[in-house]
Amino acid sequence: MPAEAPHTAAHTADDAPAIETSGLTKRFGERTALDGIDLKVPRGCAFGFLGPNGAGKTTIIRTLLGLTRASAGSMHLLGHPVPAERAQALQRVGAIVEEPRFHPFLTGRENLRLVAAVRGPEVRALIDPALARVGLSDRAEDRVKSYSMGMRQRLGVARCLLADPLLLILDEPTNGLDPGGIQEFREMIRAMVEQEGRTVFISSHLLDEVEKTCDAAAIVDRGKIITQGAIADLAAGGEVRHELILGVDDARLARSTLEQSELVLETVASEEGLRVVLSGGLETAAELNAALVRAGVGVMRIEPVRHSLEQRFLQITARLDASAAPEEVKV
Amino acid sequence: MNATLATQMFGADFLKLRKKRSTLIWALVLAIVPLVIFFAVNAVEHASNSSHEAAGGISAFHDGVRLLGGLFFGPLVAILIGVEAGTTDSSDGVFRDLVVTGRSRLALFATRVPAALALCWSIIIAAYALILIGTFVFASNLPTPSGSLIIEGLGFVLLATGVLCTVAVGFASLIDSKPGAIIALIAWQVIASPLISSISSLGSGRNFVLTQAIAHFGPAGTKDARGTEVVMSGGTALIVVLAWLAVFLALGAWRTRTMDA
Repeated sequence: MPAEAPHTAAHTADDAPAIETSGLTKRFGERTALDGIDLKVPRGCAFGFLGPNGAGKTTIIRTLLGLTRASAGSMHLLGHPVPAERAQALQRVGAIVEEPRFHPFLTGRENLRLVAAVRGPEVRALIDPALARVGLSDRAEDRVKSYSMGMRQRLGVARCLLADPLLLILDEPTNGLDPGGIQEFREMIRAMVEQEGRTVFISSHLLDEVEKTCDAAAIVDRGKIITQGAIADLAAGGEVRHELILGVDDARLARSTLEQSELVLETVASEEGLRVVLSGGLETAAELNAALVRAGVGVMRIEPVRHSLEQRFLQITARLDASAAPEEVKV
Repeated sequence: MNATLATQMFGADFLKLRKKRSTLIWALVLAIVPLVIFFAVNAVEHASNSSHEAAGGISAFHDGVRLLGGLFFGPLVAILIGVEAGTTDSSDGVFRDLVVTGRSRLALFATRVPAALALCWSIIIAAYALILIGTFVFASNLPTPSGSLIIEGLGFVLLATGVLCTVAVGFASLIDSKPGAIIALIAWQVIASPLISSISSLGSGRNFVLTQAIAHFGPAGTKDARGTEVVMSGGTALIVVLAWLAVFLALGAWRTRTMDA
Protein backbone atom coordinates (compact mmCIF):
# COMPACT_ATOMS: atom_id res chain seq x y z
CA MET A 1 0.00 0.00 0.00
CA PRO A 2 1.43 3.41 -0.82
CA ALA A 3 2.21 5.87 1.91
CA GLU A 4 -0.56 8.24 0.87
CA ALA A 5 -4.11 7.86 2.12
CA PRO A 6 -6.12 5.06 0.55
CA HIS A 7 -7.93 6.19 -2.57
CA THR A 8 -10.74 4.67 -4.52
CA ALA A 9 -10.33 2.77 -7.75
CA ALA A 10 -12.16 5.45 -9.69
CA HIS A 11 -9.44 8.03 -9.01
CA THR A 12 -6.73 6.26 -10.98
CA ALA A 13 -6.41 7.43 -14.55
CA ASP A 14 -3.87 4.95 -15.84
CA ASP A 15 -5.25 3.33 -18.96
CA ALA A 16 -2.83 0.45 -19.24
CA PRO A 17 -4.52 -2.96 -19.25
CA ALA A 18 -4.96 -4.51 -15.82
CA ILE A 19 -2.99 -7.55 -16.95
CA GLU A 20 -0.89 -7.91 -20.07
CA THR A 21 1.41 -10.82 -20.86
CA SER A 22 3.45 -11.58 -23.91
CA GLY A 23 4.95 -14.98 -24.64
CA LEU A 24 4.69 -15.90 -20.97
CA THR A 25 6.19 -19.32 -20.46
CA LYS A 26 6.68 -21.45 -17.37
CA ARG A 27 8.44 -24.77 -17.41
CA PHE A 28 8.76 -27.29 -14.60
CA GLY A 29 11.66 -29.40 -15.82
CA GLU A 30 10.56 -31.04 -19.04
CA ARG A 31 6.94 -30.10 -18.59
CA THR A 32 5.68 -26.82 -20.03
CA ALA A 33 2.91 -25.47 -17.82
CA LEU A 34 2.49 -22.16 -19.66
CA ASP A 35 3.35 -22.04 -23.33
CA GLY A 36 3.76 -18.52 -24.71
CA ILE A 37 0.69 -16.95 -23.11
CA ASP A 38 -0.44 -13.67 -24.70
CA LEU A 39 -3.18 -12.27 -22.49
CA LYS A 40 -4.72 -8.84 -22.24
CA VAL A 41 -7.23 -8.05 -19.52
CA PRO A 42 -8.85 -4.63 -19.89
CA ARG A 43 -9.60 -2.50 -16.85
CA GLY A 44 -12.99 -2.23 -15.22
CA CYS A 45 -14.37 -5.62 -16.15
CA ALA A 46 -14.79 -9.08 -14.69
CA PHE A 47 -12.54 -11.34 -16.73
CA GLY A 48 -12.84 -15.10 -16.60
CA PHE A 49 -9.86 -17.36 -17.08
CA LEU A 50 -11.47 -20.57 -18.04
CA GLY A 51 -9.99 -23.99 -18.45
CA PRO A 52 -10.14 -27.59 -17.33
CA ASN A 53 -8.21 -28.79 -14.28
CA GLY A 54 -4.49 -28.81 -14.97
CA ALA A 55 -4.76 -26.32 -17.85
CA GLY A 56 -2.37 -23.84 -16.21
CA LYS A 57 -4.82 -21.43 -14.56
CA THR A 58 -3.21 -21.38 -11.15
CA THR A 59 0.29 -21.38 -12.63
CA ILE A 60 -0.35 -18.16 -14.53
CA ILE A 61 -1.76 -16.53 -11.40
CA ARG A 62 1.24 -17.63 -9.35
CA THR A 63 3.58 -16.35 -12.04
CA LEU A 64 1.83 -13.00 -12.34
CA LEU A 65 2.02 -12.49 -8.59
CA GLY A 66 5.69 -13.41 -8.34
CA LEU A 67 5.05 -16.55 -6.31
CA THR A 68 7.04 -18.48 -8.90
CA ARG A 69 9.39 -17.26 -11.62
CA ALA A 70 8.54 -17.18 -15.30
CA SER A 71 10.83 -19.15 -17.60
CA ALA A 72 10.36 -16.68 -20.48
CA GLY A 73 8.16 -13.84 -21.68
CA SER A 74 7.06 -10.53 -20.21
CA MET A 75 4.15 -9.42 -18.06
CA HIS A 76 2.66 -6.18 -16.78
CA LEU A 77 0.26 -5.66 -13.89
CA LEU A 78 -1.60 -2.33 -13.84
CA GLY A 79 0.99 -0.99 -16.28
CA HIS A 80 4.00 -1.99 -14.17
CA PRO A 81 6.48 -4.51 -15.56
CA VAL A 82 6.76 -7.58 -13.36
CA PRO A 83 9.05 -8.58 -11.73
CA ALA A 84 11.02 -5.32 -12.25
CA GLU A 85 8.36 -3.18 -10.54
CA ARG A 86 6.62 -5.94 -8.69
CA ALA A 87 6.28 -4.03 -5.41
CA GLN A 88 4.56 -1.05 -7.05
CA ALA A 89 2.37 -3.32 -9.16
CA LEU A 90 1.14 -5.32 -6.18
CA GLN A 91 0.32 -2.31 -4.01
CA ARG A 92 -3.11 -2.15 -5.61
CA VAL A 93 -3.62 -5.84 -6.30
CA GLY A 94 -5.56 -8.20 -4.06
CA ALA A 95 -5.34 -11.92 -4.69
CA ILE A 96 -6.61 -15.25 -3.47
CA VAL A 97 -4.42 -18.03 -4.78
CA GLU A 98 -5.96 -21.50 -4.66
CA GLU A 99 -7.99 -21.68 -1.44
CA PRO A 100 -7.71 -18.79 1.01
CA ARG A 101 -5.44 -19.79 3.89
CA PHE A 102 -5.12 -18.23 7.32
CA HIS A 103 -3.49 -18.85 10.67
CA PRO A 104 -6.27 -20.97 12.20
CA PHE A 105 -5.35 -20.09 15.78
CA LEU A 106 -5.87 -16.37 15.17
CA THR A 107 -9.20 -14.55 14.84
CA GLY A 108 -10.41 -13.20 11.53
CA ARG A 109 -9.51 -9.67 12.58
CA GLU A 110 -6.04 -10.72 13.75
CA ASN A 111 -5.37 -12.42 10.44
CA LEU A 112 -6.26 -9.20 8.65
CA ARG A 113 -4.04 -7.26 11.06
CA LEU A 114 -1.06 -9.34 9.97
CA VAL A 115 -1.55 -8.44 6.32
CA ALA A 116 -2.35 -4.82 7.15
CA ALA A 117 0.92 -4.61 9.08
CA VAL A 118 2.84 -5.82 6.04
CA ARG A 119 1.01 -3.54 3.60
CA GLY A 120 1.56 -0.33 5.56
CA PRO A 121 0.63 1.65 8.66
CA GLU A 122 -2.43 3.33 7.13
CA VAL A 123 -4.03 0.06 6.03
CA ARG A 124 -5.20 -0.88 9.53
CA ALA A 125 -8.03 1.61 9.13
CA LEU A 126 -9.39 -0.52 6.26
CA ILE A 127 -9.88 -3.66 8.38
CA ASP A 128 -13.31 -2.79 9.78
CA PRO A 129 -14.77 -1.63 6.46
CA ALA A 130 -13.40 -4.76 4.75
CA LEU A 131 -14.95 -7.04 7.37
CA ALA A 132 -18.25 -5.20 7.09
CA ARG A 133 -18.15 -5.39 3.29
CA VAL A 134 -17.96 -9.18 3.33
CA GLY A 135 -20.44 -9.53 6.20
CA LEU A 136 -18.01 -10.86 8.79
CA SER A 137 -18.09 -8.08 11.39
CA ASP A 138 -20.02 -10.27 13.82
CA ARG A 139 -17.54 -13.14 13.58
CA ALA A 140 -14.36 -11.07 13.42
CA GLU A 141 -13.30 -12.00 16.95
CA ASP A 142 -13.75 -15.76 16.41
CA ARG A 143 -10.80 -17.95 15.58
CA VAL A 144 -10.56 -18.81 11.91
CA LYS A 145 -10.47 -22.52 12.68
CA SER A 146 -14.18 -22.22 13.54
CA TYR A 147 -15.01 -20.63 10.16
CA SER A 148 -16.84 -22.46 7.38
CA MET A 149 -15.32 -22.62 3.90
CA GLY A 150 -17.67 -19.87 2.76
CA MET A 151 -16.60 -17.62 5.62
CA ARG A 152 -12.95 -18.25 4.77
CA GLN A 153 -13.63 -17.27 1.18
CA ARG A 154 -15.23 -14.06 2.38
CA LEU A 155 -12.36 -13.38 4.76
CA GLY A 156 -10.04 -13.94 1.80
CA VAL A 157 -11.89 -11.24 -0.12
CA ALA A 158 -11.67 -8.95 2.92
CA ARG A 159 -7.92 -9.52 2.93
CA CYS A 160 -7.83 -8.53 -0.74
CA LEU A 161 -9.79 -5.36 0.03
CA LEU A 162 -7.02 -4.18 2.36
CA ALA A 163 -5.11 -3.31 -0.81
CA ASP A 164 -8.00 -1.10 -1.97
CA PRO A 165 -7.41 -3.09 -5.13
CA LEU A 166 -7.64 -1.85 -8.67
CA LEU A 167 -7.22 -5.49 -9.63
CA LEU A 168 -8.54 -8.54 -7.81
CA ILE A 169 -7.20 -11.93 -8.81
CA LEU A 170 -9.36 -14.78 -7.57
CA ASP A 171 -8.47 -18.40 -8.12
CA GLU A 172 -11.54 -20.67 -8.19
CA PRO A 173 -13.37 -18.31 -5.80
CA THR A 174 -16.63 -20.22 -5.56
CA ASN A 175 -15.06 -23.53 -4.52
CA GLY A 176 -16.81 -24.80 -1.43
CA LEU A 177 -19.61 -22.25 -1.51
CA ASP A 178 -23.25 -23.28 -1.33
CA PRO A 179 -25.67 -21.93 -3.98
CA GLY A 180 -26.65 -18.99 -1.78
CA GLY A 181 -23.02 -18.18 -1.17
CA ILE A 182 -22.26 -18.37 -4.88
CA GLN A 183 -25.08 -15.96 -5.63
CA GLU A 184 -23.85 -13.52 -2.95
CA PHE A 185 -20.33 -13.82 -4.25
CA ARG A 186 -21.43 -13.13 -7.80
CA GLU A 187 -23.31 -10.03 -6.70
CA MET A 188 -20.29 -8.80 -4.78
CA ILE A 189 -18.02 -9.22 -7.82
CA ARG A 190 -20.46 -7.41 -10.09
CA ALA A 191 -20.74 -4.56 -7.57
CA MET A 192 -16.97 -4.25 -7.42
CA VAL A 193 -16.82 -3.97 -11.18
CA GLU A 194 -19.87 -1.86 -11.91
CA GLN A 195 -20.00 0.42 -8.86
CA GLU A 196 -16.35 0.69 -7.89
CA GLY A 197 -14.63 0.32 -11.26
CA ARG A 198 -12.33 -2.45 -10.12
CA THR A 199 -11.05 -5.18 -12.40
CA VAL A 200 -11.68 -8.74 -11.29
CA PHE A 201 -9.76 -11.63 -12.81
CA ILE A 202 -11.42 -14.96 -11.98
CA SER A 203 -9.90 -18.30 -12.80
CA SER A 204 -12.42 -21.08 -12.89
CA HIS A 205 -13.30 -24.40 -14.42
CA LEU A 206 -16.99 -23.61 -13.87
CA LEU A 207 -18.27 -22.37 -17.23
CA ASP A 208 -21.64 -21.37 -15.91
CA GLU A 209 -20.03 -19.28 -13.20
CA VAL A 210 -17.80 -17.40 -15.62
CA GLU A 211 -20.66 -16.87 -18.03
CA LYS A 212 -22.86 -15.38 -15.31
CA THR A 213 -20.20 -13.28 -13.62
CA CYS A 214 -17.77 -12.13 -16.28
CA ASP A 215 -17.84 -9.68 -19.16
CA ALA A 216 -14.97 -11.29 -21.03
CA ALA A 217 -12.94 -14.44 -20.79
CA ALA A 218 -9.99 -16.39 -22.07
CA ILE A 219 -10.09 -20.14 -22.55
CA VAL A 220 -6.90 -21.89 -21.64
CA ASP A 221 -5.94 -25.50 -22.18
CA ARG A 222 -2.62 -27.31 -21.82
CA GLY A 223 -0.82 -24.07 -21.04
CA LYS A 224 -2.05 -22.17 -24.08
CA ILE A 225 -4.67 -19.50 -24.58
CA ILE A 226 -7.11 -21.03 -27.03
CA THR A 227 -9.29 -18.00 -27.46
CA GLN A 228 -10.22 -14.79 -25.65
CA GLY A 229 -12.83 -12.08 -26.01
CA ALA A 230 -16.22 -10.90 -24.80
CA ILE A 231 -18.38 -13.68 -23.37
CA ALA A 232 -21.09 -13.26 -26.02
CA ASP A 233 -18.53 -13.39 -28.84
CA LEU A 234 -16.83 -16.44 -27.37
CA ALA A 235 -20.11 -18.26 -26.99
CA ALA A 236 -21.13 -17.42 -30.54
CA GLY A 237 -17.80 -18.60 -31.85
CA GLY A 238 -16.71 -15.08 -32.75
CA GLU A 239 -19.37 -14.54 -35.37
CA VAL A 240 -22.23 -12.27 -34.49
CA ARG A 241 -24.99 -14.73 -35.38
CA HIS A 242 -28.52 -14.23 -34.26
CA GLU A 243 -30.69 -17.30 -34.08
CA LEU A 244 -34.33 -17.97 -33.31
CA ILE A 245 -36.26 -21.02 -32.27
CA LEU A 246 -39.72 -21.08 -33.87
CA GLY A 247 -42.68 -23.10 -32.72
CA VAL A 248 -45.06 -23.50 -35.71
CA ASP A 249 -48.09 -25.60 -36.62
CA ASP A 250 -46.74 -26.61 -40.05
CA ALA A 251 -43.00 -27.12 -40.01
CA ARG A 252 -42.72 -28.10 -43.69
CA LEU A 253 -44.55 -24.98 -44.94
CA ALA A 254 -42.68 -22.80 -42.52
CA ARG A 255 -39.34 -24.17 -43.64
CA SER A 256 -40.04 -23.64 -47.33
CA THR A 257 -41.20 -20.09 -46.57
CA LEU A 258 -38.13 -19.32 -44.52
CA GLU A 259 -35.74 -20.73 -47.09
CA GLN A 260 -37.09 -18.27 -49.65
CA SER A 261 -36.65 -15.30 -47.32
CA GLU A 262 -33.61 -13.01 -47.53
CA LEU A 263 -33.84 -12.58 -43.78
CA VAL A 264 -32.76 -16.16 -43.21
CA LEU A 265 -29.36 -17.77 -43.73
CA GLU A 266 -30.19 -21.27 -42.59
CA THR A 267 -33.08 -23.29 -41.19
CA VAL A 268 -32.63 -26.51 -39.27
CA ALA A 269 -35.25 -28.70 -37.66
CA SER A 270 -34.46 -29.48 -34.04
CA GLU A 271 -36.20 -31.02 -31.03
CA GLU A 272 -37.07 -27.56 -29.75
CA GLY A 273 -38.58 -26.45 -33.04
CA LEU A 274 -37.21 -24.78 -36.16
CA ARG A 275 -33.80 -23.28 -35.53
CA VAL A 276 -33.37 -20.25 -37.78
CA VAL A 277 -30.12 -18.39 -38.39
CA LEU A 278 -30.88 -14.78 -39.28
CA SER A 279 -28.96 -12.77 -41.83
CA GLY A 280 -29.63 -9.59 -39.83
CA GLY A 281 -30.32 -8.68 -36.22
CA LEU A 282 -33.03 -9.91 -33.88
CA GLU A 283 -35.20 -6.94 -34.86
CA THR A 284 -35.99 -8.78 -38.12
CA ALA A 285 -37.91 -11.41 -36.13
CA ALA A 286 -41.15 -9.41 -36.40
CA GLU A 287 -40.80 -9.16 -40.17
CA LEU A 288 -40.12 -12.88 -40.37
CA ASN A 289 -43.18 -13.58 -38.22
CA ALA A 290 -45.33 -11.50 -40.56
CA ALA A 291 -43.99 -13.40 -43.59
CA LEU A 292 -44.86 -16.73 -41.97
CA VAL A 293 -48.36 -15.56 -41.06
CA ARG A 294 -48.92 -14.30 -44.60
CA ALA A 295 -47.91 -17.75 -45.87
CA GLY A 296 -50.53 -19.33 -43.61
CA VAL A 297 -48.20 -20.69 -40.93
CA GLY A 298 -49.43 -20.50 -37.33
CA VAL A 299 -46.61 -19.23 -35.13
CA MET A 300 -46.90 -20.29 -31.48
CA ARG A 301 -43.47 -19.31 -30.27
CA ILE A 302 -40.51 -17.13 -31.27
CA GLU A 303 -37.54 -17.36 -28.96
CA PRO A 304 -34.04 -15.94 -29.44
CA VAL A 305 -31.28 -18.52 -28.96
CA ARG A 306 -28.84 -17.76 -26.18
CA HIS A 307 -25.43 -19.15 -27.09
CA SER A 308 -23.87 -21.09 -24.29
CA LEU A 309 -20.25 -20.68 -23.39
CA GLU A 310 -20.32 -24.25 -22.22
CA GLN A 311 -21.20 -25.48 -25.69
CA ARG A 312 -18.42 -23.42 -27.17
CA PHE A 313 -15.93 -24.57 -24.55
CA LEU A 314 -16.76 -28.22 -25.08
CA GLN A 315 -16.57 -27.68 -28.83
CA ILE A 316 -13.07 -26.23 -28.53
CA THR A 317 -11.69 -28.75 -26.06
CA ALA A 318 -13.19 -31.63 -28.03
CA ARG A 319 -11.46 -30.32 -31.16
CA LEU A 320 -8.21 -30.09 -29.21
CA ASP A 321 -8.61 -33.59 -27.84
CA ALA A 322 -9.06 -34.83 -31.38
CA SER A 323 -5.93 -33.11 -32.64
CA ALA A 324 -4.03 -33.69 -29.35
CA ALA A 325 -2.03 -30.54 -30.01
CA PRO A 326 -3.67 -27.26 -29.11
CA GLU A 327 -3.54 -24.55 -31.71
CA GLU A 328 -5.00 -21.09 -31.70
CA VAL A 329 -8.69 -21.34 -32.45
CA LYS A 330 -10.10 -18.50 -34.44
CA VAL A 331 -13.18 -17.03 -32.82
CA MET B 1 11.21 -0.03 5.15
CA ASN B 2 10.70 2.75 7.71
CA ALA B 3 10.66 2.38 11.49
CA THR B 4 6.87 2.48 11.77
CA LEU B 5 6.45 -0.27 9.22
CA ALA B 6 9.22 -2.33 10.82
CA THR B 7 7.61 -1.97 14.25
CA GLN B 8 4.23 -2.95 12.85
CA MET B 9 5.64 -6.00 11.07
CA PHE B 10 7.50 -7.00 14.23
CA GLY B 11 4.25 -6.67 16.18
CA ALA B 12 2.46 -8.87 13.67
CA ASP B 13 5.08 -11.59 13.87
CA PHE B 14 5.11 -11.40 17.66
CA LEU B 15 1.31 -11.72 17.68
CA LYS B 16 1.53 -14.91 15.61
CA LEU B 17 4.04 -16.44 17.98
CA ARG B 18 2.43 -15.54 21.27
CA LYS B 19 -0.97 -16.70 20.06
CA LYS B 20 0.34 -20.12 19.04
CA ARG B 21 -0.75 -21.74 22.27
CA SER B 22 0.81 -25.15 21.81
CA THR B 23 4.29 -23.74 21.23
CA LEU B 24 3.91 -21.19 23.99
CA ILE B 25 2.74 -23.74 26.54
CA TRP B 26 5.53 -26.19 25.69
CA ALA B 27 8.11 -23.41 25.87
CA LEU B 28 6.83 -22.32 29.28
CA VAL B 29 6.73 -25.90 30.54
CA LEU B 30 10.29 -26.57 29.38
CA ALA B 31 11.59 -23.34 30.86
CA ILE B 32 9.76 -23.36 34.19
CA VAL B 33 8.94 -26.92 35.21
CA PRO B 34 12.53 -28.32 35.38
CA LEU B 35 13.52 -25.40 37.59
CA VAL B 36 10.51 -25.86 39.85
CA ILE B 37 11.33 -29.57 40.16
CA PHE B 38 15.00 -28.79 40.76
CA PHE B 39 14.31 -26.38 43.64
CA ALA B 40 11.40 -28.41 45.05
CA VAL B 41 13.33 -31.68 45.20
CA ASN B 42 16.37 -30.03 46.78
CA ALA B 43 14.19 -28.18 49.27
CA VAL B 44 12.41 -31.38 50.27
CA GLU B 45 15.70 -33.25 50.62
CA HIS B 46 17.15 -30.44 52.72
CA ALA B 47 14.05 -30.37 54.91
CA SER B 48 14.13 -34.10 55.51
CA ASN B 49 17.90 -34.32 55.94
CA SER B 50 19.72 -31.32 57.39
CA SER B 51 23.09 -32.64 56.19
CA HIS B 52 21.86 -32.12 52.60
CA GLU B 53 22.86 -28.69 51.30
CA ALA B 54 20.15 -26.04 51.17
CA ALA B 55 18.21 -25.80 47.90
CA GLY B 56 19.28 -22.20 47.23
CA GLY B 57 22.53 -20.27 47.33
CA ILE B 58 25.24 -19.75 44.79
CA SER B 59 25.65 -23.41 43.88
CA ALA B 60 21.97 -23.72 43.05
CA PHE B 61 22.22 -20.50 41.06
CA HIS B 62 25.01 -21.97 38.93
CA ASP B 63 23.08 -25.21 38.41
CA GLY B 64 19.99 -23.25 37.43
CA VAL B 65 21.88 -21.10 34.94
CA ARG B 66 23.50 -24.19 33.42
CA LEU B 67 20.10 -25.84 33.17
CA LEU B 68 18.61 -22.81 31.47
CA GLY B 69 21.46 -21.57 29.34
CA GLY B 70 23.93 -24.28 28.68
CA LEU B 71 22.38 -27.67 28.54
CA PHE B 72 18.93 -28.57 27.49
CA PHE B 73 15.88 -26.66 28.57
CA GLY B 74 16.70 -23.08 27.60
CA PRO B 75 18.06 -24.14 24.20
CA LEU B 76 14.99 -26.29 23.66
CA VAL B 77 12.76 -23.28 24.29
CA ALA B 78 14.88 -21.30 21.83
CA ILE B 79 14.62 -24.06 19.20
CA LEU B 80 10.83 -24.40 19.55
CA ILE B 81 10.21 -20.69 19.21
CA GLY B 82 12.82 -20.15 16.49
CA VAL B 83 11.44 -22.98 14.38
CA GLU B 84 7.89 -21.73 14.88
CA ALA B 85 8.91 -18.26 13.72
CA GLY B 86 10.74 -19.67 10.70
CA THR B 87 7.97 -21.92 9.45
CA THR B 88 4.58 -20.75 10.70
CA ASP B 89 3.74 -18.64 7.63
CA SER B 90 4.51 -21.35 5.12
CA SER B 91 3.11 -24.23 7.19
CA ASP B 92 -0.21 -22.38 7.52
CA GLY B 93 -0.11 -21.49 3.82
CA VAL B 94 -0.07 -17.77 4.53
CA PHE B 95 3.38 -16.95 3.19
CA ARG B 96 2.10 -16.48 -0.35
CA ASP B 97 -0.51 -14.02 0.90
CA LEU B 98 2.25 -11.96 2.48
CA VAL B 99 4.34 -12.17 -0.69
CA VAL B 100 1.48 -10.90 -2.86
CA THR B 101 1.37 -7.70 -0.83
CA GLY B 102 4.52 -6.77 -2.76
CA ARG B 103 6.55 -6.47 0.44
CA SER B 104 10.14 -7.68 0.05
CA ARG B 105 10.66 -11.29 1.06
CA LEU B 106 13.81 -10.28 2.88
CA ALA B 107 11.78 -7.89 5.01
CA LEU B 108 9.34 -10.71 5.77
CA PHE B 109 12.25 -12.89 6.85
CA ALA B 110 14.00 -10.17 8.80
CA THR B 111 11.06 -9.45 11.10
CA ARG B 112 10.84 -13.08 12.15
CA VAL B 113 14.10 -12.85 14.08
CA PRO B 114 13.32 -10.02 16.53
CA ALA B 115 9.82 -11.40 17.09
CA ALA B 116 11.23 -14.83 17.95
CA LEU B 117 13.87 -13.30 20.21
CA ALA B 118 11.30 -11.16 21.99
CA LEU B 119 9.14 -14.15 22.89
CA CYS B 120 12.06 -16.44 23.65
CA TRP B 121 13.72 -13.92 25.94
CA SER B 122 10.43 -13.11 27.69
CA ILE B 123 10.16 -16.74 28.72
CA ILE B 124 13.85 -17.08 29.55
CA ILE B 125 13.76 -13.95 31.71
CA ALA B 126 10.74 -15.33 33.58
CA ALA B 127 12.64 -18.58 34.15
CA TYR B 128 15.73 -16.68 35.21
CA ALA B 129 13.63 -14.77 37.74
CA LEU B 130 12.51 -18.12 39.08
CA ILE B 131 16.16 -19.16 39.49
CA LEU B 132 16.85 -15.99 41.45
CA ILE B 133 13.80 -16.49 43.65
CA GLY B 134 14.84 -20.08 44.40
CA THR B 135 18.44 -19.05 44.92
CA PHE B 136 17.58 -16.44 47.53
CA VAL B 137 14.48 -17.97 49.16
CA PHE B 138 16.12 -21.36 49.76
CA ALA B 139 19.63 -20.00 50.46
CA SER B 140 19.44 -20.63 54.22
CA ASN B 141 22.95 -19.77 55.44
CA LEU B 142 24.65 -20.34 52.06
CA PRO B 143 26.28 -17.46 50.16
CA THR B 144 24.17 -15.88 47.42
CA PRO B 145 25.30 -14.53 44.01
CA SER B 146 26.52 -10.96 43.75
CA GLY B 147 24.83 -8.35 41.59
CA SER B 148 27.52 -8.64 38.90
CA LEU B 149 27.20 -12.44 38.82
CA ILE B 150 23.44 -12.12 38.46
CA ILE B 151 23.90 -9.77 35.51
CA GLU B 152 26.59 -12.01 34.02
CA GLY B 153 24.31 -15.04 34.38
CA LEU B 154 21.43 -13.18 32.74
CA GLY B 155 23.67 -12.08 29.89
CA PHE B 156 24.81 -15.65 29.40
CA VAL B 157 21.33 -17.22 29.24
CA LEU B 158 20.15 -14.49 26.90
CA LEU B 159 23.19 -15.00 24.66
CA ALA B 160 22.91 -18.79 24.68
CA THR B 161 19.19 -18.88 23.93
CA GLY B 162 19.24 -15.86 21.63
CA VAL B 163 21.94 -17.29 19.38
CA LEU B 164 20.24 -20.66 19.18
CA CYS B 165 16.84 -19.07 18.57
CA THR B 166 18.25 -17.01 15.69
CA VAL B 167 20.00 -20.04 14.21
CA ALA B 168 16.71 -21.94 14.51
CA VAL B 169 14.83 -19.21 12.61
CA GLY B 170 17.38 -19.37 9.80
CA PHE B 171 17.59 -23.15 9.70
CA ALA B 172 13.79 -23.62 9.81
CA SER B 173 13.32 -21.04 7.04
CA LEU B 174 15.93 -22.92 5.03
CA ILE B 175 14.41 -26.37 5.23
CA ASP B 176 10.82 -25.11 5.52
CA SER B 177 9.69 -28.04 7.63
CA LYS B 178 8.69 -27.63 11.25
CA PRO B 179 9.11 -31.25 12.38
CA GLY B 180 12.28 -31.65 10.33
CA ALA B 181 13.86 -28.53 11.79
CA ILE B 182 12.91 -29.38 15.39
CA ILE B 183 14.24 -32.93 15.14
CA ALA B 184 17.47 -31.87 13.43
CA LEU B 185 18.22 -29.04 15.84
CA ILE B 186 17.43 -31.03 18.98
CA ALA B 187 19.50 -33.93 17.70
CA TRP B 188 22.37 -31.55 17.01
CA GLN B 189 22.06 -29.82 20.37
CA VAL B 190 21.50 -32.83 22.59
CA ILE B 191 23.32 -35.68 20.84
CA ALA B 192 25.76 -34.50 18.18
CA SER B 193 27.26 -31.49 19.96
CA PRO B 194 28.27 -33.33 23.19
CA LEU B 195 29.45 -36.30 21.12
CA ILE B 196 31.68 -34.22 18.85
CA SER B 197 32.95 -32.23 21.82
CA SER B 198 34.00 -35.43 23.58
CA ILE B 199 36.14 -36.66 20.66
CA SER B 200 39.47 -35.15 21.69
CA SER B 201 41.18 -36.35 18.51
CA LEU B 202 39.21 -33.69 16.61
CA GLY B 203 41.37 -31.10 18.37
CA SER B 204 40.57 -27.49 17.50
CA GLY B 205 37.93 -28.66 15.03
CA ARG B 206 35.67 -28.87 18.08
CA ASN B 207 35.82 -25.08 18.31
CA PHE B 208 33.14 -24.97 15.63
CA VAL B 209 30.59 -26.62 17.91
CA LEU B 210 28.24 -23.78 18.79
CA THR B 211 27.52 -24.88 22.35
CA GLN B 212 31.24 -24.90 23.10
CA ALA B 213 31.71 -21.40 21.77
CA ILE B 214 28.72 -20.14 23.74
CA ALA B 215 29.83 -21.92 26.91
CA HIS B 216 32.99 -19.85 26.78
CA PHE B 217 30.92 -16.80 27.79
CA GLY B 218 29.24 -18.49 30.76
CA PRO B 219 29.96 -17.56 34.39
CA ALA B 220 32.82 -19.65 35.77
CA GLY B 221 30.65 -21.87 37.95
CA THR B 222 28.34 -22.84 35.10
CA LYS B 223 30.92 -24.59 32.91
CA ASP B 224 30.02 -28.09 31.83
CA ALA B 225 31.24 -30.50 34.47
CA ARG B 226 31.23 -33.53 32.19
CA GLY B 227 34.80 -33.06 31.01
CA THR B 228 33.77 -32.26 27.47
CA GLU B 229 34.62 -28.58 27.59
CA VAL B 230 36.74 -27.30 24.70
CA VAL B 231 39.17 -24.56 25.61
CA MET B 232 39.30 -21.67 23.14
CA SER B 233 40.10 -17.98 23.23
CA GLY B 234 37.40 -15.33 23.59
CA GLY B 235 38.10 -14.12 20.07
CA THR B 236 37.69 -17.58 18.59
CA ALA B 237 34.47 -18.14 20.52
CA LEU B 238 33.07 -14.83 19.29
CA ILE B 239 34.01 -15.58 15.67
CA VAL B 240 32.40 -19.02 15.88
CA VAL B 241 29.17 -17.60 17.30
CA LEU B 242 29.05 -14.84 14.67
CA ALA B 243 29.81 -17.34 11.90
CA TRP B 244 26.89 -19.55 12.97
CA LEU B 245 24.57 -16.55 13.03
CA ALA B 246 25.78 -15.22 9.67
CA VAL B 247 25.61 -18.57 7.89
CA PHE B 248 22.13 -19.55 9.05
CA LEU B 249 20.65 -16.07 8.67
CA ALA B 250 22.05 -15.91 5.14
CA LEU B 251 20.74 -19.36 4.24
CA GLY B 252 17.31 -18.63 5.70
CA ALA B 253 17.10 -15.29 3.89
CA TRP B 254 18.24 -16.85 0.61
CA ARG B 255 15.64 -19.60 0.83
CA THR B 256 12.86 -17.17 1.75
CA ARG B 257 13.79 -14.95 -1.17
CA THR B 258 13.98 -17.70 -3.78
CA MET B 259 11.41 -20.34 -2.78
CA ASP B 260 8.14 -20.83 -4.63
CA ALA B 261 5.51 -19.39 -2.32
